[in-house]
Amino acid sequence: MPKDRLLFEKTGRARYISHLDLMRTFQRAFLRADIPIKHTEGFNPHPFISIALPLSLGFSSACEILEFGLLEGTNHADVPAKLNAVLPEGVVARACYPGERSLKELAALEYAIHLEFDSDPQGLIAAWSSAMSRESWVIEKKSKKAKSGTTTLDIAPLIKGFNFTEVENNGIELTCTVSAQNPGLNPNVMVNALTEEFPEWKLSFVTYHRGRALDKDGKEFR
Amino acid sequence: MTKELERILPLVQKPARYTGGEYRAVVKDKETVDFRFALCFPDTYEIGMSNLGVRILYGVMNRMEGVWCERAFAPWGDMEEQMRAHNIPLWGLESGDPLQEFDIIGFSLGYEMAYTNVLNMMDLAGLEVRRENRLDTWPLIVAGGTCCYNPEPLADFVDVFSLGEGEDVTVEMINVCRRGKKENWSKNRLLQELSKVPGLYIPSMVDVTYGEDGTIAALTPSEGVELPILKRVVSDMNTSYFPTDTIVPSTEVVHDRVTLELFRGCIRGCRFCQAGYAYRPVRAKDPKVALEQGIAACKDSGYQEMTLSSLSTSDYRPLVELCDGLLDYCKPRDIGLSLPSLRADNFSMSLMQRMQEVRKSGLTFAPEAGTQRLRDAINKNVTEEDLMQSCRTAFSGGWTSVKLYFMLGLPTETDEDVLGIAELAKKVVQCGKAYAANPRRVHVTVSTACFVPKPHTAFQWEAQVDMDEYMRRVTLLRENMRDRSISYNWHDPDTSFLEAVFSRGDRRLGRAIEEAWRRGAKFDSWSEYFDLNRWLETFQDCGIDPHFYANRVRKDDEAFPWEVTSTGVTRAFLARERKQAYAAVITPDCRHQCSGCGANRFCKGGVCDA
Repeated sequence: MPKDRLLFEKTGRARYISHLDLMRTFQRAFLRADIPIKHTEGFNPHPFISIALPLSLGFSSACEILEFGLLEGTNHADVPAKLNAVLPEGVVARACYPGERSLKELAALEYAIHLEFDSDPQGLIAAWSSAMSRESWVIEKKSKKAKSGTTTLDIAPLIKGFNFTEVENNGIELTCTVSAQNPGLNPNVMVNALTEEFPEWKLSFVTYHRGRALDKDGKEFR
Repeated sequence: MTKELERILPLVQKPARYTGGEYRAVVKDKETVDFRFALCFPDTYEIGMSNLGVRILYGVMNRMEGVWCERAFAPWGDMEEQMRAHNIPLWGLESGDPLQEFDIIGFSLGYEMAYTNVLNMMDLAGLEVRRENRLDTWPLIVAGGTCCYNPEPLADFVDVFSLGEGEDVTVEMINVCRRGKKENWSKNRLLQELSKVPGLYIPSMVDVTYGEDGTIAALTPSEGVELPILKRVVSDMNTSYFPTDTIVPSTEVVHDRVTLELFRGCIRGCRFCQAGYAYRPVRAKDPKVALEQGIAACKDSGYQEMTLSSLSTSDYRPLVELCDGLLDYCKPRDIGLSLPSLRADNFSMSLMQRMQEVRKSGLTFAPEAGTQRLRDAINKNVTEEDLMQSCRTAFSGGWTSVKLYFMLGLPTETDEDVLGIAELAKKVVQCGKAYAANPRRVHVTVSTACFVPKPHTAFQWEAQVDMDEYMRRVTLLRENMRDRSISYNWHDPDTSFLEAVFSRGDRRLGRAIEEAWRRGAKFDSWSEYFDLNRWLETFQDCGIDPHFYANRVRKDDEAFPWEVTSTGVTRAFLARERKQAYAAVITPDCRHQCSGCGANRFCKGGVCDA
């Protein structure tokens, strides 16, 4: 099935729209914008839409990719403006284009993680940096498949790079590139493991922003 | 979104309920706004956003220049906990501003079991719940909705009640308030001026006294106020505002589709039905207008489903014509059409075919009672043959399951009537086996609810059966309706009992509502929160006998607390209908014969267009 892609942002209030709700929102938005798109076949046809690598609830993103099939009569270039006129606040279409590369080539995601602590996190950057640079870092993960309810995963090879910056109000900005899929690493799994390992720094608030989607060479993936 | 809110949202379930920002949510520039209205729905976002009245009023107010109407809903328990822990007062979804900054806080009251949520929301907004303790003029607390046909249980808390349909009176009320704000009126002066607006009831301007037996001795209005306060109606459904560019929630709500209203009022006159009396007279929308609005609403929202709404959809004269027009638009676009509120006596093949065009939805009939005698007594005007005919149509048309709704505890009901429900259900099963393409899949679901006598109905004098008696009838029915093809659901009588207390209660109940809320009552329509014992203990501690309100037959000439309001239907008519009920004599519907209910006072020339 030839696929078209929409690159969009999800920020502000829209961060709290769940993956399923966002799919519904786009289905309706295409209808509102009067952009005909391909439907699923079968007994109960509905507009076909898929969003790559679902974003966790509460995360913001500048690089979401939606796949769909544009029917004849609309130019790719017209799609973002038409959609933006009918999308809820915080969901913003940035570009529409025919998908050229397989989604499998989306190798990594760069996150901007904003961390705030109860008190000045002195020494944290050194401790976290060395933890994140270990050869092997096996963590327990919740699993629906495993009988015990948990499974283990070595996340060390999934962390591709990171950078820390201190900011005001006992805050730290962590930019971190992680594996996107097979397996992917949700950065909140990493942050939770770190806060557990280093209880001396009490995390009071954290936000995650997915900034860039990258291929295996570190180039922007669209 | 404020920083504080951002910090608690990750800690609660379904945060999209609390963010706003949906498509078509109205955000105005505060510089251009001189009056702010918080439209509050005392239940969850998902329920409130399914309410057509809320959407209509939101549109009506936001079309007014200089007025900004925002929404607020009752936060679920986890959110309330976080709000209280972090001192975040209840806010308007659009601006995020605290409700205290608004000029009017208006509640939509559709269900008695939401009363504790009204108090809880006021408290979360940082306001005193009792009106005598709110000394500032603003925010003014107003309430509208069907519950206001007996406003008295909330008389201690609400400053102004708006009776009937709100499209016009809300605008008039806001304009008076704007003048008051500009001229710096005292609260007294404001209430005085508002009392001159037809349809507004000010509880502080009525004095209630009670006789030795606890019944109302007198309802005495202040000077210049005349009782009863007559409800307001919209006279022309074709020109009155209807929301075709309405909010599309970003998270799934209960009625997540286009709601197209066809007409108001009902020609039928079922004697138990408050809506049937209170929404009189019948006013239909021209099918051309309905068609345009329906299509416009689909286009604007992107919804893939539309429901045709009214009290009795199959009584809409041009229904088939309208359905055909809508289907021309909907079918090629895979938009499903659903028609709730169909009557068993005029469900036709042609209608059924239209319902199936896009997606087949469930089929529900409400015979309400099991025997013809009782159906006549309640004036349901549906015969067994009507029902069987409709079921034959449905089963031969491809349906395999049908739902049947009944009430238990209707006035004059006997065990024979209860057993009649089982008989009827079995006949429907037999009909299904004879006519359905796949007889083995035939299934009938029977549901019963406990009858709640409502004010402004022919049964407003009647007692509700007590909870034990209701459960006895449930058991009787269950034991006599054992059939693999029938499933039986019955409503818990606990909430029905409380509904009966509040729907015909007086203002003395205010103390109990406040006390129950202080003891933790909220979301009483949700089993997660409802606790009958908390209510029973509260009543006892407040010296209130709930059975006085729920389970007592009223004297013919007893004065009722809800007679501060009028639906336009006269008490004499209701009394006549009650007599007819006891004689099991039916009253023909308004199309066949006018029975002189009094609601024609709202019609031009005194003639209804039923």
